[in-house]
Amino acid sequence: MKLTLVTASLLLGLASTSSVNAASIYAGQAKAAAVCSQCHGIKNPSAEAPFPPLAGRDADYLKTALKQYRDKTRQSDIMNAIAGSLSDDDISNVATYYARLKP
Amino acid sequence: MNILKTPLRKSILTALAALVLPFGVQAAADNAKDMHQLFEDNCASCHGSDHGGFLAPALNSETLKGRSPTALRSLIMTGSFDTLMPPFYGRLTDDQIRGLVSHLQTTPKLANPSWTIDDIKKSIKVYVSDESTLPDKPTYAIDSMDDVIGVAARGKYGRGSGSKAVFINSTTHKQIGEIPTGTAAHIIDYNPANPRWAYIKTDTAEIFKVDLYSMQAVRSVKTGYNGPGLGVSRDGKYIMAGSFVPHNAVILDADTLEPLKTFELEGIDPDGKMVSSDSGMVIGTPFDDIFAIALENAGQVWVVDLKEGFPVTKITDVGRHLHDAFLSHGGRKLMIASYDDSIVAAIDLKERKIIKKLEAGCVPHVGGGSAVEVDGRTLGFGTNFGDCDKTVVSVWDLDKMEVVKQIPVAGGTESPAAHANAPYVAVDIISKDRRARTVQLIDKKSLEVVKTLDVGGHAYFPEYSADGKFLYVSAGYSGDEVVVYDSTSLQKVASVSMESPAGIFSHGRVRYMTRGLSPDEATAPANAPRLRPVGEMKGAK
Repeated sequence: MKLTLVTASLLLGLASTSSVNAASIYAGQAKAAAVCSQCHGIKNPSAEAPFPPLAGRDADYLKTALKQYRDKTRQSDIMNAIAGSLSDDDISNVATYYARLKP
Repeated sequence: MNILKTPLRKSILTALAALVLPFGVQAAADNAKDMHQLFEDNCASCHGSDHGGFLAPALNSETLKGRSPTALRSLIMTGSFDTLMPPFYGRLTDDQIRGLVSHLQTTPKLANPSWTIDDIKKSIKVYVSDESTLPDKPTYAIDSMDDVIGVAARGKYGRGSGSKAVFINSTTHKQIGEIPTGTAAHIIDYNPANPRWAYIKTDTAEIFKVDLYSMQAVRSVKTGYNGPGLGVSRDGKYIMAGSFVPHNAVILDADTLEPLKTFELEGIDPDGKMVSSDSGMVIGTPFDDIFAIALENAGQVWVVDLKEGFPVTKITDVGRHLHDAFLSHGGRKLMIASYDDSIVAAIDLKERKIIKKLEAGCVPHVGGGSAVEVDGRTLGFGTNFGDCDKTVVSVWDLDKMEVVKQIPVAGGTESPAAHANAPYVAVDIISKDRRARTVQLIDKKSLEVVKTLDVGGHAYFPEYSADGKFLYVSAGYSGDEVVVYDSTSLQKVASVSMESPAGIFSHGRVRYMTRGLSPDEATAPANAPRLRPVGEMKGAK
């Protein structure tokens, strides 16, 4: 029931907005697969990996973190380089994708 | 120098050496030793312990000549997308990565390292000493052991807690057990004589004997440094393992894993050169008490009789760079892929000679191969992963030994799956772009691609459940799940999560011998009518 509700509101969210910033979980998944998953996994990072899991994290937190990495107010050699390649839409999409995954 | 150095003295010596001779011999030797260990612990399971390459490219002074150290360093840090290469950022320090790069760029490919029968013997580990304490039936609900499907999970780093064999009930798609393997599991084979035993071989040439009833490893043995070659004899008494590093093979007692005989793999290749050779496929057959093993570089297939002294019959000039193979005709015919001349050679294991060499596309990799009976003909399906203009799946008439069709597919392919009860032959597209996410389905009758499934990740190694009702596919690295489809509707029905799944092996294989044949294939009597004399022309059955 809850899942249906979430799905419904998500679909509604997708359908009701024409804003360029509308988050697309599909675009987010594609971007995650192409950019993030190498280290963070498409769902979860490797049990052996030193990278933090992203699944189920708050979408706003993820967006803020990625933007900080992008403008280098948060320091990390590797994340500064990777986030530098992401647009606002990309950030919104991948954050929404990972936030929606069950951890 | 003093051999029994304490760590302290060693570090003082190193420090002194470093002070007195910044590029001194001792410091360099210590460093090289440390770097070799780092290579062994992180890289060698894929790149080969001898720096000669294995699943992944060779890393030595020759192959890395002229490469930018900065580019190599960032490749190690971030890994390589679209390949199995993981990111080592955070796992290795920057100094270690820089050290590795310079070590690799100055180290030649090593001479064939030795791993003797004594090394094999000493490596045996016993986890369950009294096998009579094991349960006499499965400790989980399952109708038939045929329904067990095993997945070789590599783990992101090819080692560690993600590396294991995962066993699933292929009627419920629920995991029923898992066996940690330390390094990437590569091949799972089942004992044809006793359904409780499975054998898992890793990329680092360790073999685990597994009790499927209690889902635990009972013994293990290390047969070399690298190499997945593994076969089980039809009576279930012997297993044979072949290595990439070093160039040898061994026959083991399937019960105790004690080594019985080792074989040095060397011979004269099709171009007349004497070469030391990697092991390619190793296979047991329901046709006879033999093993067949491919000597990749020597282009030979050796047939080993399972009797006193394990005598060898050598079939030479089979092809240039042999790799994998599958059986047909009750296990009498062996179809073996030859990379460098893009043929599949048909071998008669009774006469022990080549029947014919058949065109096989571009760099044929037949995976486990497939054979299906359609309109009275036995058709073999062969995948190939070369990067050619024309990407095809080859279909051969295995009775007449001729090419029936080369079916155009979307890219290079690595493994075909078929089942007597399923309408499609599934092939994995592995070309390194979005196509790698897909599996294509070939209609058995029309021999045309009729559907493309977007599985996700790097989708490969399709396999049908023993009843043919479900198609399992590894979404592989960057997918981290095994996806299950209904074989007929092709609707997704389940997903099982694991790290970097690769090969999938149905227990049903021991019954149908080659995927796609009748479930009774391996148990058909040796004089059954379908064992026709080789070469006999036959239009219909």
